[in-house]
Amino acid sequence: MSRLSLTLRLTLVLACFAFGAMAILGSALYFGLRAQLALSDDAALVTRVDQIRSLLQDSDAREMVRDKPRLFANMLGNSESLLIVQSQSGPALITVNPGNREVPQVQAVDADTPLSLQHVQHGQAADGTPFIYMAAQVRMTGNQPPLKVTSGRLLNERARILAGYRNDILTLSSLTAGLIALLAFFLARRSMLPLRRLAEQTAAIGIGTLSSRIDRQNAPQELDAVIAQFNAMLARLERGFTDLKQVSADMAHDLRTPIGNLLGQIEVGLGKVRGMDYYQRLLGSNYEELQRLSKMIDSMLFLARTDHAEEAIERVDVNLAEELERIGSYFEDITQERGVRLTWSGDGTLQADVTLLRRALANLVSNAVRHARTDSEIRLEVQRTPQYSIVLVRNLGETIPPHAIERLFDRFYRADSARQHSSERSGLGLSIVASIMKLHGGHCQVVSHDGVTSFSLFFPHA
Amino acid sequence: MNILIIEDELKTASYLCAGLTEAGYVVDHADNGIDGLHMARESRYDLILLDVMLPEMDGWTVMEKLGSRQQTPVLFLSARGTLEDRLRGLGLGAEEYLVKPFSFAELLARIRIILRRGQTEKLVETIEIGDLQVDVAKRRVIRGGQRLSLTNKEFSLLMCFVQRRDEVLPRSLLASLVWDMNFDSDTNVVDVAVRRLRQKLDDPFPTRLIHTVHGVGYRFEHEP
Repeated sequence: MSRLSLTLRLTLVLACFAFGAMAILGSALYFGLRAQLALSDDAALVTRVDQIRSLLQDSDAREMVRDKPRLFANMLGNSESLLIVQSQSGPALITVNPGNREVPQVQAVDADTPLSLQHVQHGQAADGTPFIYMAAQVRMTGNQPPLKVTSGRLLNERARILAGYRNDILTLSSLTAGLIALLAFFLARRSMLPLRRLAEQTAAIGIGTLSSRIDRQNAPQELDAVIAQFNAMLARLERGFTDLKQVSADMAHDLRTPIGNLLGQIEVGLGKVRGMDYYQRLLGSNYEELQRLSKMIDSMLFLARTDHAEEAIERVDVNLAEELERIGSYFEDITQERGVRLTWSGDGTLQADVTLLRRALANLVSNAVRHARTDSEIRLEVQRTPQYSIVLVRNLGETIPPHAIERLFDRFYRADSARQHSSERSGLGLSIVASIMKLHGGHCQVVSHDGVTSFSLFFPHA
Repeated sequence: MNILIIEDELKTASYLCAGLTEAGYVVDHADNGIDGLHMARESRYDLILLDVMLPEMDGWTVMEKLGSRQQTPVLFLSARGTLEDRLRGLGLGAEEYLVKPFSFAELLARIRIILRRGQTEKLVETIEIGDLQVDVAKRRVIRGGQRLSLTNKEFSLLMCFVQRRDEVLPRSLLASLVWDMNFDSDTNVVDVAVRRLRQKLDDPFPTRLIHTVHGVGYRFEHEP
């Protein structure tokens, strides 16, 4: 049942309902009619017996019955009727019994009792046809013995009508069910049309057309949620895919620069015979370029690993005061050279992978040093909220525009589009920070306004 | 000092052999795990460089089979750099786990550290190299009769150099030794620190002690 199509299911259910409803209505009518017919048949029988009784009370009529029983038989009987008039113990005066059926023994109604429907007996003939009958006594004038009238009727006609009626009802019910099934089928198919269109539109979406969205027009409201979710999914996919394309393009670009340098330097170097010094410098320079490539690949690998698998990290209790001190000492010279001051405050411990934490902090501080205004202060702070331990790196410099902030953590993104210093920067530093935070179950947040830029590392409490 | 290299990549093995021989070690090479294990058991080595992905028998297995009987320190060289791999290698008793690609100078420095570990470090109080005198305990540095005032960091850096004189020290190793920063950084922090040390140590004097090894790092060397 679970694999039946929705259309077929609707069709079947509606057909069953229709048939059931029609059948119930039909049987109600059928049983009603049967009761009505039974009532009128019974009433007719009672009237008939009553008439015969009245007739026989008349002495002239009795004379005639005695003289010409055949005449009465013809007059009172017909092929379905049974009529027997007999004296109390004597032979029958009139016997009309076309089928020669066995006459049921029945208690005759007293001559003084008025006849009513209750006196009618119901039975069945040998062939199953319903059969009604009754008997009544007729009082005679003088001292003549009373007569007994037994009359019955075989309800052939009634059985035939009822059977026809029943068949009609069955046929009609089936027809209606069929008709409704047909109607339901077409209606359901029509209603399912938006689903089919949805499938067609979905099928039309390929890698090249990720920007298309499912059209909501004409679709019933019920599909709105599906379509909205689907479009949201498409948006996510598109973004992921664009990012991926962007990353490959950027990576290709960033790989091309050192490789281009290598090729060019070697080409020029091999152009003619040169001194040992030249070759040494050339190899040294090549070595540097290759190191850049190797570092970039390492970083890409690091990012790829942290992107997908739940890379295990080694959490230990990190003394923050010590770490800030270490970072401060590490960057001391370079900050002095660039004419900025590095200050820090904060203590306490943090559950983190110490190498990764240092790497994240070093990336942030080196980023801050690069963008800090001359003679300004770079500040490292520790803050605590009920959920997080926050390590914050703040520098003064140019405000990062919002559109750049969105992409700041993207791989190979460099806010300064001129790509200056691109030789010493991979453009992966902040992506790595974001990945490191992801590994710790935390996140990195950046706020930049009025020339103050702060990066905050949110470490959730263990 | 004898070193056994178990490594199946021929180019890697060849430059390792050449570089280590030049650095004064006697080097043997096996290009699969079974031969390597056999050689490690038959002869005595001071250090084994062991690749993880090896034909016939992988590095883990070689290490396990060696582990129980042998005291020879092992240095893993592997392209697999996840924490699990690292922990597994160290858990098997390896001294060090270097992830490929590594710089040769880095490898050499690590090898020296491992080999030095066995020897009891002589607690020298003063070191003299040419006209340089370092009083380790008092943290006092004198060159050419002139007292140099160094910051703590400059002193630590100088100590790294003098303890490893004539060795090429890659930047990453210096960062790791002085600041305990065990990763490649985008910044030229080490260069700046060395430059500042040079300003005090080398610039006022006619001969240089700290030499730049282009692209790789620095070497502390006194050329008389």
